[in-house]
Amino acid sequence: MEFGWTAEQIKYREHVRAALEELLPPDWEQVYVPQSYASDAQIEFSRIFCAELAQRGLLVPHWPKQYGGNDADDWQHFILSEEMKAAGEPRGPQYMNVNWIGPTIMRYGSDEQRREHLLAIASGKVIWCQGFSEPSAGTDLAALKTRAENRGDHYLINGSKIWTSYARKADWCFVLARTGSGRKEVSVFLLPMTTPGIQVTSFPGLIKDGHLNEVFFTDVKVPLSARLGAEGAGWTIVTYALSYERVGVARYHAGLEALDRAINRRKKENRFDDPVMQTRAGIIAAKFEAARLLTYRVVDQRVHRVQDTSEANLCRIAALEAVEDLMDFLVQYVPDCLTGGDALLEDYYRINIPAGITGGTNELQLDLVARRGLGMPSRL
Amino acid sequence: MNLQLTEEQSDLVAAIQEILQDHSDIPQSARLQSYWYNEKLQHLLTSNGYLNVGREFGPLEAALVAIEAAKIPVVAEVAVSSLVAPQLLGEEVVEGPMVVLSGRELARAHRNLPIARHALIDLGDDVALLPVDPDNVEPVPSVLAYPYGRFIRAPELRGARRLRCQGTHLRHWWRVALAAESAGAAQAAVAFTLNHVKQRHVFGHPVAAFQTVQHRMVQCHMVATSLYYLALQAAWSRLLYDADVAACYAQQHVKKIVVDLHQFAGAMGVTNEFALHLWTYRLRALQTEAGGVTESALDVARDRWNSEKSCEAQPAPVPLVSAEAK
Repeated sequence: MEFGWTAEQIKYREHVRAALEELLPPDWEQVYVPQSYASDAQIEFSRIFCAELAQRGLLVPHWPKQYGGNDADDWQHFILSEEMKAAGEPRGPQYMNVNWIGPTIMRYGSDEQRREHLLAIASGKVIWCQGFSEPSAGTDLAALKTRAENRGDHYLINGSKIWTSYARKADWCFVLARTGSGRKEVSVFLLPMTTPGIQVTSFPGLIKDGHLNEVFFTDVKVPLSARLGAEGAGWTIVTYALSYERVGVARYHAGLEALDRAINRRKKENRFDDPVMQTRAGIIAAKFEAARLLTYRVVDQRVHRVQDTSEANLCRIAALEAVEDLMDFLVQYVPDCLTGGDALLEDYYRINIPAGITGGTNELQLDLVARRGLGMPSRL
Repeated sequence: MNLQLTEEQSDLVAAIQEILQDHSDIPQSARLQSYWYNEKLQHLLTSNGYLNVGREFGPLEAALVAIEAAKIPVVAEVAVSSLVAPQLLGEEVVEGPMVVLSGRELARAHRNLPIARHALIDLGDDVALLPVDPDNVEPVPSVLAYPYGRFIRAPELRGARRLRCQGTHLRHWWRVALAAESAGAAQAAVAFTLNHVKQRHVFGHPVAAFQTVQHRMVQCHMVATSLYYLALQAAWSRLLYDADVAACYAQQHVKKIVVDLHQFAGAMGVTNEFALHLWTYRLRALQTEAGGVTESALDVARDRWNSEKSCEAQPAPVPLVSAEAK
């Protein structure tokens, strides 16, 4: 057991940092980051940035060579993710492509789908959005109502999705739709957003612009070949995809960065002498460090091919506890952070308003760990 | 980064678990006490070299031993002898059991003092290594699940050996040790309670079937799991920041573990016959040590932010280097 990095991993991290230094524009932190990674500006920037990353072999290094990767191990992928997160996630929505959309297509896609999508994702120029949640089906995803009716030679999709980040700029949508009457009789479809019958509407909210969109499907005709995996296999596919999404975002890294930023603002103002504030900051830092190690454990298990029961869920629970404490800390000790005083901290705060909801609510994570990790009985 | 135990580490853990298992029963006559110190086990661990693994193998292995020892219901002093002492005394071995005491609070009751043969006393800058005279210690009854005692007469520190400028070093490893002990105790307490809530039925269902119980049990499990890795990381890295983080995390979550697990044990949990207190009230004891959560949190803040340099001037955190890279 050891908690350090190998020489190769250190070199790789330096390589990633050097690439970021070179590729990010001088006004990245002042102009782009505060707009948030779902903003139109960042999404468009990601098409340029990710294409450059791809040229340098830094977009999908963990993918197999045949799909544009370099067969790198899970640690390299994770180091890349940590550094991107620390830089304000300049990959924008494309972090989803490399973390879970690509790997899911790799696992469940037809040869044609792999050919069509994987090299496109690996080129860094394509934007995807995730069509899972609906107005009446969020945490209870199996309650979704969007229906894909099998008409023999095609499907006809009707329904709507909501909270669909990036939808107004996306090229493709990873859509989950009902194909049978049973609760979990659902299927996944890979749809171009230009398909006739798809309409996107944005609406305002507490989190940053670009995250809150509604996508309507009205008699959307899609070929059978757009279905990912077998009909009715959607639940298995989405479970697989979400297990990657849950650990894909290094929340502790962004949290510690935000905490450092807040403290350093206080220091610059000579207001870092309050022991109560210091104590609270120390407590929060310790929580983020715990979340970091639980996340590393998930990656380590993947490297060692240890079956993941619920460790990915556990690290999300740990990170959320720290994130919530930090949000409270920011409002108390950097009180102008939500009133124009610090665009980066405001972005951090607002993005994390739904931190306990997105990607599966915290309660769902707790349920999953209780049952899969601790062997507790199903609910009453 | 490799969070799997090596074969040697797994063998070490398996071996100590076997010894601990064979000596973890509390005698019938002591079942209603707030703790049980197993002197025979203490001798066995000493004579079989388990308290010397910190010198033979390193602090990570010593932390693994301390964690395992903290999981059993009986008390044996492991963490200070195996994890703290080698860092201050090097190859020199002094007779144990050992304790760490704060020089500012010598008059109060101390954990493990009635069984101790040597004490490492934190004097601020320096450390005193003091042989403990058992005739100068009176036991103090406590709900905390360790033997507690206080000096009858103030110990004579002038004659004690001084370890110059070792105060920071002592506090550093004291925190690693208390984090390791807390990790073992928390893991055992969670496992014990988990078994209880699965067996015990209320309103026609196992207690474990209720969602509110499940969620809080998971949170306790998360704390115990985190603590295990934080303690081991602190032992591996030897960094003060990691030690302070591990202790801070342990001490800030004691309330959560103690309150929730006793809640799920119900009225059974307030009896000494029900063993839960043997772990939860160790955690309460450890919560008070090395300055408690306030000082550990302040030290985390000091380690992380109190540099004279401004934020922008600070280099990015340097990743720890593995043995392979060294």
